[in-house]
Amino acid sequence: MSSTRTSPVSPPAGGPQDPVAPAATPPRARRGRLGRAWRRDRFAWALIAPAVVVMVLIHLIPTAGGVLLSFRDVNTFTFARLFGAPWAGLENYRAILFDADNPIHSGVFNAAGNTLVYTVATVAGTLVGGMALALLLNRDFPGQKVVRTLMLTPWVVPSFVVAVLWQFMWQSDVGIVNKILVDYTGLLDERPVWLLGGNSMWAIVIPSIWRGIPLAMLIFLAALQSVPKELHEAAALDGAGAIRRFRSITLPLLRPLIAVQLLFGTIYAAYQFTIPWVMLGSNPGNDADLMMTLIVRQSFSNNLFGIGAAASSLLTIVMLVWVAAWWLAFRRDMEADR
Amino acid sequence: MSMRSKRRAIDWSLNALTYLALLAMLAPVLWLVASSLQSDGDLARGTYDLLHPTFKAFGEMWESVDFAKYLKNSVIICTVAAALATAFASCGGYALARTRFRGRAPFSLAVIGTQLIPGALFLLPVFIGFIWLKQHTFIHLFDSRTGMILVYTAFFTPVSIYFMRSFFLAIPRDLEEAAMVDGCTRFGAFLKVVLPNAAPGLLATFVYAFLFAWDELLFVQALTESNAETIPVGIRNFIGNYSQEYAQLMAAGVVSTVPVVVAFFATQRWLVKGLTAGAVKG
Repeated sequence: MSSTRTSPVSPPAGGPQDPVAPAATPPRARRGRLGRAWRRDRFAWALIAPAVVVMVLIHLIPTAGGVLLSFRDVNTFTFARLFGAPWAGLENYRAILFDADNPIHSGVFNAAGNTLVYTVATVAGTLVGGMALALLLNRDFPGQKVVRTLMLTPWVVPSFVVAVLWQFMWQSDVGIVNKILVDYTGLLDERPVWLLGGNSMWAIVIPSIWRGIPLAMLIFLAALQSVPKELHEAAALDGAGAIRRFRSITLPLLRPLIAVQLLFGTIYAAYQFTIPWVMLGSNPGNDADLMMTLIVRQSFSNNLFGIGAAASSLLTIVMLVWVAAWWLAFRRDMEADR
Repeated sequence: MSMRSKRRAIDWSLNALTYLALLAMLAPVLWLVASSLQSDGDLARGTYDLLHPTFKAFGEMWESVDFAKYLKNSVIICTVAAALATAFASCGGYALARTRFRGRAPFSLAVIGTQLIPGALFLLPVFIGFIWLKQHTFIHLFDSRTGMILVYTAFFTPVSIYFMRSFFLAIPRDLEEAAMVDGCTRFGAFLKVVLPNAAPGLLATFVYAFLFAWDELLFVQALTESNAETIPVGIRNFIGNYSQEYAQLMAAGVVSTVPVVVAFFATQRWLVKGLTAGAVKG
């Protein structure tokens, strides 16, 4: 998350006695130097061992298990058999994707649509808001340091606190939002209901944006500060206005950072669970049910673990497609970035 | 209007806009604190009086739900998991920053790849696995702090690896080379020379992992029942059972936010460095 580079350029390895990079070595020659290679690599292997062990135990094996589970029929009756539940073949996938009579089918499609809306709105709002604040804070003004630090506060507030806080603020009768909109300013005549129906999507999107903005701002601000001032001054002398300078100087420089935040912001938003689940309950309703809340509800409340695993696998596939599309679109920025 | 006074007017209004933006961003947090200082009844009726704060809710919240238990679990689980993740990540991050080895590319890719898998996909097998272990062996990971520590360590190790890597890259190589000339082994140089120099990075990584562990809900709500539940589960139980006790709920929100806010602002100098590492070099 913190780095824009997936495969870092590292200086040549360790001591002066190190041979050339393994990639450049023909296989036969490598075998000939096996002993030396083992001696060279074992230091690094020992270093990564603990990380590899926990990642294999908690990420790799369970993920493989989750994919296998999606081909099994695990429900209330077969759950006691745990790993021995009967095979279901592609039945779980068929039920989700094609079985129009199955409520799961419409539920998943509805949740997928909601997740798309939630993700696009949250990521767009976070990036635009973060950029606007970064531009605003990238000036000299009294109290600069304090303001920049305090601005990060929403990001530090835990998501579950964000959810209870906003749930209280969204209350129709006594919530501060409606008090401001209706009682104090009279912008609206009727008190909107936020936590039910059509507005409930906004009830989860707005706090998510609010919590996401500070990190985006921080990253953009750091990049803006590394843009040489002379560049702007020279362009201004040539008669370029503020908007022109933003589009021709600032935006191209920020492109790699926008790309990285687009990637991770989308993944983070698409897997959002805490905010809807705490604010709206284990069933957030048709208008705000996201993929993750649906999967957890079907798995743990309805004991449909096989269905949940299949829905999770489908979600993973969609995200892999997104990462591939992202790579095709931004590959050049990432490579230029090195 | 002269050019200069026009410039001054623009400057002044941009400053004002900046302070307004800060106020807008902080307003919900201020509202959280203000509400926690009211009484439950006033908040439910919407008749709060901000000029007369009361700390009553901060006393009552510990009795409505067993908040002390949740707090204790959160502190233990998150501290140990963040420390382990930082330790594992400093080793892994050092390997990525300083050495070339066979398996480097797959390892690098796997570290990023873990961020791509939705928690729900591997939560189900972890859940079933923990239940199986409990039924068939003496290993109790379900509803235990050890189980949650194991899960969180694995969760936050990958991100921490990239965090630590960027801190190690900023340390000059000569340091270790000099130590090795002086007879240190490579591991000795890493332990005695590099790590102390990376202390701010270690602290930042620890706080970062702690922040995220503190906020984790998906796994802890599925993998615990009554013993190892953490604050997010407690808050959820609070809403379920005492949905009208807003002041207590807001007080619980304040109590669960204070530790991470303190940790963050105490270390923000280094944390910000880690968070923006990609931005500055890119």
